[in-house]
Parts: sequence; structure tokens; C-alpha cells
Amino acid sequence: MLYPSQAVAKPYFITAIALFAVQVLFGLIIGIQYVMINIPFITFATAKLIHTNLLIIWLLFGFMGAAYYIIPEESEQELYNSKLAVLLFWVFLALTIITTLGYLLLPYATFAKITGNQFFPTMGREYLEQPTIIKLGLFAVLCGFSYNIAMTILHGRKTMINLLLLVGIVGSTIVFVFAFYNPSNLVLAKYYRWWLLHFWLEGTWELIMEAILAYIIFKITGDRAIVEKWLYIIVAVTLTTSVLGIGHHYYWIGVPEYWQWVGTIFSVFELLPFFFMVLFVFNVVNCTKCQYSNNAVKLWALSTPIMAFLGAGVLGFLHTLAPVNYYSHGTQITSAHAHLAFYSTYVMIVLTMVSYAMPILRDHKVINHGISQKLEILAFWLMTVSMSLMALFIAIAGIMQIYVQRATEIALPFIEIQNSMVVMFWLREIGGVVFFIGVIIYITNFFMVKKKYGTR
Amino acid sequence: MEQGNIFINQGISEIPDRKMAIIAESLYLLNLLILPGIAFLALVWLFIKYDNVSTRISGCHLRQTFSASIWVGLLLVLVTWVMLSTMNHDSPYTWMIVIPYFVICHSVLVLLGIMGLAKALAGKKFHYPIIGPSS
Repeated sequence: MLYPSQAVAKPYFITAIALFAVQVLFGLIIGIQYVMINIPFITFATAKLIHTNLLIIWLLFGFMGAAYYIIPEESEQELYNSKLAVLLFWVFLALTIITTLGYLLLPYATFAKITGNQFFPTMGREYLEQPTIIKLGLFAVLCGFSYNIAMTILHGRKTMINLLLLVGIVGSTIVFVFAFYNPSNLVLAKYYRWWLLHFWLEGTWELIMEAILAYIIFKITGDRAIVEKWLYIIVAVTLTTSVLGIGHHYYWIGVPEYWQWVGTIFSVFELLPFFFMVLFVFNVVNCTKCQYSNNAVKLWALSTPIMAFLGAGVLGFLHTLAPVNYYSHGTQITSAHAHLAFYSTYVMIVLTMVSYAMPILRDHKVINHGISQKLEILAFWLMTVSMSLMALFIAIAGIMQIYVQRATEIALPFIEIQNSMVVMFWLREIGGVVFFIGVIIYITNFFMVKKKYGTR
Repeated sequence: MEQGNIFINQGISEIPDRKMAIIAESLYLLNLLILPGIAFLALVWLFIKYDNVSTRISGCHLRQTFSASIWVGLLLVLVTWVMLSTMNHDSPYTWMIVIPYFVICHSVLVLLGIMGLAKALAGKKFHYPIIGPSS
């Protein structure tokens, strides 16, 4: 570790991984509820709420940890205010715990009432279910985080990587303002909700992901010039395609028909950043003499763009054309895309960063002990293969669903449609169990190896 | 950068070795992505015209992409056509097989093409697994 303030990243990474495990556990609960409805103690709605909300939260923890680790090194100076970073960590953790407990222990309507949602209603929208007061807390955390990162960069060296990270972070903070506007007109409400979700997931978060990937590839190859050259191309393509690509969220919400053309055309081009990312990573690796010894990080870093191309790019493209989306909208196809896209684009990049930074933060020098590397690589394959298969099974279920529910004169009753997909739901659950085993192995390698082999 | 600026021979002296490899890989990808058929015909023309005179980097990429493009046709057009003509169009199971097959197959072939292009950009040889000729 070059700068002591980078150590701030450690609690962020640990929390991110712990919440990741909890999120996957709730995914398993939802999966089993698809096929065996009566699970005591928790409803489907609550489990899904926690599954999707924790995903956003732990990824934010991961991004914050990554930024606190990368920025001092790239800026060649200590973090502007380490104490603020630690304080924000505890505030963010408290907000997360309170929200999750609220979801678990109270009926959602009661939770909304006691948090004063009636005075400033922002709750009840998918992914934005958090109470208004929690959203305000999260906004404060994001503002403090942006300020800390911006001031560090302002006082230090400016590189393409840290500036891109800054744009992604500040952009995410600004876009979060849309979470506080929830007009009674449903079409307008959808607009603002998508302006937040789309511009996070297909805009600012993508920039953060690209910056982290570029940093890791730079660390692996040691060639900053070629990394930055590619980064310019990828960022340009990301920004030019993602802004109007938002049209694919407007298709059936009550907006003018021309959005179908805009959404279709620009969404097709949204594949390009992922295409260039694969090309970038493999071109850089081919052009340089790679001496880097952490094989787990290399595996994560090289696989991330490939999986992102498949999950975010191909599965997204599969149902982004308006005439196709007319049938596939809101079916299991969307779920397949969401699962593989989130995993490949954001989960994998955070895990790449954790795998890179944690051995250094834990004073193991560059890599963990041999057995830890093997465990981590095993975890990688278990998680990646099982998630790919899960996405495949859900996509196949989606095709069945479209056939019996949408592309037909008379749709089957809802329960019959669900029954027609039950085999795929079981296969998905098995995939989920394997994925969870992968997560456990991933976590285990951090604990057991240190105990058994010592730190050096 | 291996062979980056070495000219192939006098007949095609305006096309450096690496550039020829990049063109071959790009045509393979164009055939898969936006110009099916047309890009393949351009690749066939390039292969016939330059295969015998190209040096080892561009020759490798020309042969690999030409062979892989023929496999593309077989896997994506012929196999899909056979499946669609032998299976019942009114059954959802047909589409549950054909659509995932086509999407997975197409995506893998595109990814191989991107890796081939990355190698060509770096001035290195690339061998398409299974669908590329071994020499």
C-alpha cells in the first residue's frame, strides 16, 4: 500500500462482500418462493425488496471502497479527509441496517408511515423503495464521498482514470436527486425514476466500472498510455450511446411513439462500449509483457468485459428492439438480462477490485497465499458458470412465457403460465445454490488462509 | 510489435502485414454483425487474392477468418435452418431451443472474432479454437 489513507477502503470492501452474501441468500429465498410459495416468516415482496435494494447498496459500498483505494494512488497524495471517509462508512452502514430491519420487521405501509413518507412521498417505486429520510441520508453520504474524492484529485495529479472515476461518482450523486421527485402523473413519475436508474446503471456506474477496469489493467500491464488511449474511445462511445439509449425504458409508458425509434437505434449501439472493452482488454494484454503474478485478479479482469458483453450487451440487445420488446417487456427475459448484466458488469468489477486490493490491504504483498488463489479461482468459476446458466434458464423460461402469454390470441391464466416455467425455475434455484457456494468459498479464502498460513 | 510495418510484397505493397490481418478480422466481424454475406464475399475475395502472397501474420489471419466464416454459415444459417424446418413451429419448445442456440452460438463467434481482432491489432497470430484450421 503506497498511501496509508488507502486503508479506508478495507471496511467498505468487507461490508460489500458481507452484504453480497446476504443479498444472494435472499435471492435463494425468492427463487424457492417461485416454486414453493408457502415460506413462513417472510413474504415474496419483502425478500425481493431486500434482494434488489441490497444489490444497489453493496455495489455502492464496493465502488466507494474502490475509489478510496484508487484515488490516493492515482492522485499521488493522501486522501483529502480520511476521517470523513470513515464517518461516512458508519453512517452508510447504519442506514443500510435500519432500512433492512425496517423491511424485515414492519409491514411496508407501516414503515412508510413511521418514516414520514406522507409528508414527502418518494417510496413505493421499484429499486427506490427506501424511506425518504433514508434517501436523504444516502444523498448526504454520496455528497460527502464526492467532495472527499474531488478535493483529493483537485490537490493531486490528474489522470484519465481518476478523472473518469470522479465524473462517474459526481454524476451518480447528481442523478440521485431524481429519487426525490415523485409526481402524481404516472408517466412523469416513470420518466424521473428511469432518469435515475438508467443513468446510474447505463451511464455513471458504467463510467465507474470502466475506470476501475482501466486501473486494474494498468496495474497488470504497467502501460498507462495504451490504457488511456482505449479509455477515451470507450468513454466516448458509452456517453454517446447511453443518453438516448434511455428510450428503451420509454416504450410502453405513455410517451410519443418516436421514442420507439430513438430507443431502438441507440440501444443497439449500447453494445459498442462492451465490444470495445473486450477489444481493449485483450489488445492491451497482447501488446504488453505481462509480469503480474495475481492470477485470480487477471482472471476476474479479463473475464469482466467478456461477461459484460454477453450479459449487458447481448442479453440486453435481445429484447431492446421495440418490436421485440412489445412481446418481451416485463417477462423473465428482463430478469435474465438483469441478473447476468448486474453480475458481469458491476459484481465482477467490484470482486476484481476486492481481489486486487485486499491482499495488499491485509499486508500479504501482491497476492494471497497459493491455496487462497486456488479457492478464489474456484469461486470465480462456480459463480460465473452458475450465473450464466441461471440467466440461460431464466431466458428460456421467458421465451416460454412470451409464447403462452404474449404471442397468442388468448393468454393462459397466470398460474398456468407460471406452471409452464416451473422446471426452469427449479434449475435456476439449483444454479442459485451453486452460486451461493461460490460466494461462501470466495469469503472463506479471506478468513481461513490467514489463520492457517499466517500473513506472510 | 511483430511485423507491424513490413510490407507483404510488391503486388500489395500498399497494405502492410498487420493491416491486412486487421482487415480480415474486421470483415469476419462485419459478416457476423452488420453486413452478413457482403462482408463474407469481401473476405473471400481477399483470401483468394492474397492468401498465396501474404506473410505469416496476415496469411494466418486470412486463413483463420476464411475458415471461421464458413463455419459461421454452417452453424448459424444451416443448422438453424435444419432445426426450423424439422421442428414444429407451433410448439414453444422449438423456440426454447432455437433462440438460445442461435444467441449463444452467435455471441461466442463474435467474441472469438474480437479476440482475433485484438491479436491482429497487436501484430500476433490467432487460432480460432475448433473452427479455425490448425496450421
